[in-house]
Amino acid sequence: MITLMAAFVLVLQIAMVGQRWLVTNIRVFAAQSFLLAGIANTIAYFNHAPHLYIAAFLTFTLKAVALPIVLERLVNRVDIGQEIAPIVNVPLSLLISGGLTTVGYIVAASFHHPEESASPASLGRNTLAVAVSLFLIGFFMMISRRKAIMQVLALLSLENGLFLAAISLTYGMPLIVELGIFFDLLVAVMVLGILVYRIQETFDSMDVTKLSRLRG
Amino acid sequence: MLLFAILAIPLAAGAMSFAARNRRVMEAINLAGFTALFLLAVALATQVLRAGSVSMWNGFLAADSLSALVVLLTAFVALACSVYAVGYFREDERNHVFEANVRGAAAISSLRKYYSLTPLFVFAMLLVALANNLGVMWVAIEATTLASVFLISFYGRATSIEAAWKYAMIGGVGLSMALFGTILTYYSAHHVLETETLAGLNWSVLVLNAAQFDKTTMKLGFILILLGYGTKAGIAPMHTWKPDAYSEAPVPVAAMLAAAVLNCALYGLIRFYVLTTRCLGPQFASHLLIIFGLLSVGVAVPFVLVQKSFRRLLAYSSIDHGGIMILALAFGGALGALGMLLHLTFHSITKPLLFFCAGNVEQHLKTDLFRRAKGGLIHSMPVSGPIFLMATLAVTGIPPFSMFQSEFTILRAGFGGTVLWPPILLIILLVVIFIGFLVHIAKLVLGADPGLPPADSCPWKKYSLIGLASIVVILGFWLPGPLFELIRDAARVVGGER
Repeated sequence: MITLMAAFVLVLQIAMVGQRWLVTNIRVFAAQSFLLAGIANTIAYFNHAPHLYIAAFLTFTLKAVALPIVLERLVNRVDIGQEIAPIVNVPLSLLISGGLTTVGYIVAASFHHPEESASPASLGRNTLAVAVSLFLIGFFMMISRRKAIMQVLALLSLENGLFLAAISLTYGMPLIVELGIFFDLLVAVMVLGILVYRIQETFDSMDVTKLSRLRG
Repeated sequence: MLLFAILAIPLAAGAMSFAARNRRVMEAINLAGFTALFLLAVALATQVLRAGSVSMWNGFLAADSLSALVVLLTAFVALACSVYAVGYFREDERNHVFEANVRGAAAISSLRKYYSLTPLFVFAMLLVALANNLGVMWVAIEATTLASVFLISFYGRATSIEAAWKYAMIGGVGLSMALFGTILTYYSAHHVLETETLAGLNWSVLVLNAAQFDKTTMKLGFILILLGYGTKAGIAPMHTWKPDAYSEAPVPVAAMLAAAVLNCALYGLIRFYVLTTRCLGPQFASHLLIIFGLLSVGVAVPFVLVQKSFRRLLAYSSIDHGGIMILALAFGGALGALGMLLHLTFHSITKPLLFFCAGNVEQHLKTDLFRRAKGGLIHSMPVSGPIFLMATLAVTGIPPFSMFQSEFTILRAGFGGTVLWPPILLIILLVVIFIGFLVHIAKLVLGADPGLPPADSCPWKKYSLIGLASIVVILGFWLPGPLFELIRDAARVVGGER
C-alpha cells in the first residue's frame, strides 16, 4: 500500500520533469503532496505514531492546498509565459531522471540491514529509494530550469523527498522539529515569492539565466 | 532564565523597531538591545566557566562552553555592527541613496526593514548556538537565511536582487542537504536510543551514545552535513553566493554575514563532527575536511589576485578563512581544535573592522571598484585609510596581530600529523593571498593626493572604527584570561573530551 503510493509519488515527480506547462506543474506538485500526506497517515495508523497525523495534516493543508494556491496566484499576477523553458530538453530530462532513480535505489540498498527486520526501514526500503530519487530529481530540476518559479517548485519537491525519507526511516522527525521545518518552509515560499515578483519587476522576465551581472 | 533572556531581547528589539515611527528611536532600540545582549552574553560565558553547562526547558535550550563562545562572538559582532550602522545609514540618507534606489519608498521604510530584520537575524543566530536539538538547530540556521534575504536585497538594485536570489536558492539547496544529513543522523541513532521523542535528536544525548551509531548511515549523513552547512559557511565549491551577497548587502549586514553567520554554520558542522569522530574515528571526517579546506583556500587565491572590487575581495578573504578553520578541524587533536576556535574568535573580531573600513571608503568614493579609485585615500581619510591598511595586515595574519597566533597554532597542529603536504601547501597559499591583498589595499590607501574632499567627519563611523581597531591591537598582545579559558574549554568540546 505504502510502496504503491510512494511509486505514484515518484511517477508524479517524473511527470513534473516531463511537463511543459507551469500551472500544470504546480498542480502535479499539489497532487504529489496530497499523496505524501496519505502515506504519512497510513504509516501513522499502522505503526501507532500519532504525531505523524499532525505532520500529515500540515503537509495536506500547506503543501497540497496553501502553497499551490499562493504559487498559482503569483503566476497569474506576474503574468508570465506559461511554458517552463527548460535548459535541457524533455526527452533527455526524462532519461536523466530515470538514471537518478536508479542511483536512488543503489543508495537505498546500502541501508539494508537484514538482521533488523523490526527497524522502520524494513517497512519501506522502496519508499526510501523513492525519497532519495525525489531528492536527486528535485536537484536536477533546480539546475535545469530557467524560470525562477520553477526553481522554487523544484526546491519544494526536493523538500517532499526529505519528508518521505524522514517518515520512511524514522516515522518522521520529533514533532517540534517537524513544526519548525513547516514554518521555515512557509516563510521560505513567501520570501522566495516576493523575490520572484521583484525579479519579474526588475528584469521584466523570470529567466534566471539573465541574473548574470555579478561575476568574479 | 539567562538563556531565555538572551533569545527574548533581540526578538523584542525587532518588534519594537518595527513599531517605531522615526529613525532615532529605531537606532536607540537597536543600540540598547544589542548592548544588553552583549552584557548577557558575557554573563552567560562567566556562568558557564564557573559552573559548567547551563540548560533550560528539559534541555531544549542548552549552552556549554562552545555555545557560550559563539553567543558571545555573535553578540559582539551585532553590537559593533549596530554602532557602525547608525553612521552608515545616516550617510546613505545624506547621499540620497534611498530615493534613488528603493522604488520611491521613503528612507524610513528602508531603515525600518533594516532595524527590525537585523534583530530577527541575530535571534536566529543565537538560537543556532543555544538549541540543543539538532533539528531545531537546522530550523534556526534556515531562519538565518530567511531573515537575511531581504537585508541583502536592501538597496533594491537589479544586482542586489540577483545576489539575494542566488543566496536564497544556493542556501536553500545546501540546507536541504543538511536536513537530509540530520535525518540520517537521527536514523543512525534511532535504534540505539529507541526513542521517538525530542531527546532523540538532542546533541547532549547523542554525543554519549555516538559510538554505537550505525556507521554507514553516519558516513553518508556527515557528507551531507558537510555539503549543507559548508554551503552556509561558504566553503568551496559551494561558495559562489558569497562574493555577490557580500558586495551587494549594506556593510553592517555583510559584516554580520562574514563574522557571525560563518561561526553559526561552522558551529553546526562542529556538532556533527564531534558525533562523527566518536562514531567513526577521526580519519574519515579529517580526510573530507582537508579536501574542502584546501580547496577553499585555493579557490580564494586567483580571485584575490585579480580582484576588481574591494567588497568582493573581502568575500574571498572570508572564503579563505572558512577554509583555514575547516583545515584546523581536519588537523584535529587538542591543538587543532584550539587553533580553530582561536581563529574563529579573532576572525569575528577583526573581520567587521575590515568591512567597516571598506564601507567608509565605498561611501566616500561612491564605488567599490579599484579601477575608479585613484589611490591616496590616506590624504582624504586620515582615520579610515590607515586603519584599513592595519586591518588588512591583521586579517592576513601578520604578527603582532592575533590572527598570526591562531594560524601559527593551526599550522603547528598540521605539522604534528603524519601527512605534511597540507600544512605546507597552506603556508604557500596564505603567503600568496597576503601579497595579493596587501598590494590591492596599499594601492588604494597610499599614493599621491588625488584631491578628494576630506571625509571621516561622522563620529559614529569614526569612533566605531577606532574602538574596534583598538580592540584588535590589544588582542594582538593580550588575550584576557577568562576568554582564553572559555576558548580552551570549548576546544575540549570540539576535541571530544567533554
